[in-house]
Amino acid sequence: MILLDRVTKSYNKKGAVLERINLHVENKEFVVIVGQSGAGKSTLLRLLTREEKPTTGKIIVGGIDYERLKDKDVPYLRRKIGTVFQDFKLLPTRNVFENIAFALEIVGMSNKEIKHTVPKVIDLVGMKGKELNYPHELSGGERQRVAIARAVVRQPKILIADEPTGNLDPKHAWDVIRVLEKINRHGTTVLLTTHNMDIVNKLKRRVVTVKDGKVVGDRARAGYSGNRADQI
Amino acid sequence: MSHYHLYTTLRILRNGFTNMFRNLWLTIAATAVMLVALVIISLGVIINVTTSNAIDVLSQELKTSIILTEDVTTTQRELLEKTLRSYEFVESVSYISPAQAQARLTEDPSIGNEVLQASALFEGASFLKPSYEIGLNDLSRAGELSQIEDDARFSDVVERVALGRTDTGRQTDAEKAIDRAAATERFITIGSIISAGTLSLVSIMIIFNTIRMAIYTRRDEIAIMKLIGATPNYIRGPFLVEASLYGVIAGIFSNVAVYSLVFILGGKVADSPEFSQTYEYFTAPSTIVLMVLSSITLGVLIGSVSSMLAMERHLKLRNW
Repeated sequence: MILLDRVTKSYNKKGAVLERINLHVENKEFVVIVGQSGAGKSTLLRLLTREEKPTTGKIIVGGIDYERLKDKDVPYLRRKIGTVFQDFKLLPTRNVFENIAFALEIVGMSNKEIKHTVPKVIDLVGMKGKELNYPHELSGGERQRVAIARAVVRQPKILIADEPTGNLDPKHAWDVIRVLEKINRHGTTVLLTTHNMDIVNKLKRRVVTVKDGKVVGDRARAGYSGNRADQI
Repeated sequence: MSHYHLYTTLRILRNGFTNMFRNLWLTIAATAVMLVALVIISLGVIINVTTSNAIDVLSQELKTSIILTEDVTTTQRELLEKTLRSYEFVESVSYISPAQAQARLTEDPSIGNEVLQASALFEGASFLKPSYEIGLNDLSRAGELSQIEDDARFSDVVERVALGRTDTGRQTDAEKAIDRAAATERFITIGSIISAGTLSLVSIMIIFNTIRMAIYTRRDEIAIMKLIGATPNYIRGPFLVEASLYGVIAGIFSNVAVYSLVFILGGKVADSPEFSQTYEYFTAPSTIVLMVLSSITLGVLIGSVSSMLAMERHLKLRNW
């Protein structure tokens, strides 16, 4: 599903933000990427959403080779990848329903189809009854669940969540993680970045550790040791 | 059109319309400047056509005459006539015989009988000479006709080139009047082109800034749209619609203003022969429709050009 082959990203000659990253993520996998701030986690995800281009190396996502991807095709690539951000990125002038519908409007879906699809996703993320609320009327956890709903409403094969629990208290953070697990169970490949070690340890999923722009650990479906976490 | 394109187009139009009301004060400012520009352009066109038509009427009244010698032969006359017709600024050439000139003179109420009797007594029966009456389509080139006098082929044919009806012996300030009218026409043409161009440029700059500010205030929304897979056209579309709507509104209101002036001021001079034809032309329903459509088209053009410039500079949709 996702393949990074010796991917290097540098912005100047002083040093690389990511250096010769090799990563292979299978279909329907749930991968947690951990690392300190500045380790290169977000850059890695930005490469996957094609917000950045690698300096060297090969990226293939869902059979699409990014080297051959033209700029005009980037919007269509992004439609296949759901993205969730730490700061939610919801539109403040639109309510919950409209924020989620927004992702469907840009792909030209009819109003009838939108009215049929959006309630199902609202139900999936547990936001039923809050369709007409505006973002400022919601808690952080609820906002993030709306953002997740918007990311998955087009049923992407891949969901990328960049520190989705970063601004949330533990209870709401776990609410969000449960939603991501639920989406993964429905068959979506999930890539989650976090530095919340409690989440990493309890999730018991594949953990990829990034440090100083390099992958320094890759543990598949194992409990994450506290000692290891301390080293990050 | 597929369902996808239909829904996308409708949403782009709706978003453009909604965005216009989001920044109402900016919208009003941008539309107002464009309105002034379109009013100036429309008035420039109307004044230009009015002046041009008035000068045409004037030129029919003030025909240049070439006074011929008494003993001119038919062959010489025909050669002269052929030469005159070959000039592109010559609209019409009419031969006036002494008898026709006499008849006109007699019919002219402004010429007193005493003058006629005195002239006949002084110069004899042949004081009226044959002439050519020349109608011009470009009054500014009337002076070129005087070259005929210097042409060796016509030295025995042309007595002199004069302005006024025919050689009645009356010399008027017609030449000066024609020069003044032609200069006025040129001044109005140049003046309206410069003022319309300047105001159009000012409109473009103001709309450019309006769209730039709109892009700035909606930068988060644009970033989200890009991240969730909106195409560049879907992002650009509403800005283009918004700026074009300024043009539509300005186009309509500029015509309301211009036609108010046409009906109020034009109505006062509609009876005079210089302006009656122009007034009728501009107040005809087909012309009103044409003027409204032209103003709207121009407004939309100004709006879309400025918004495209602003988007090219500030939306940064080339690199994803």
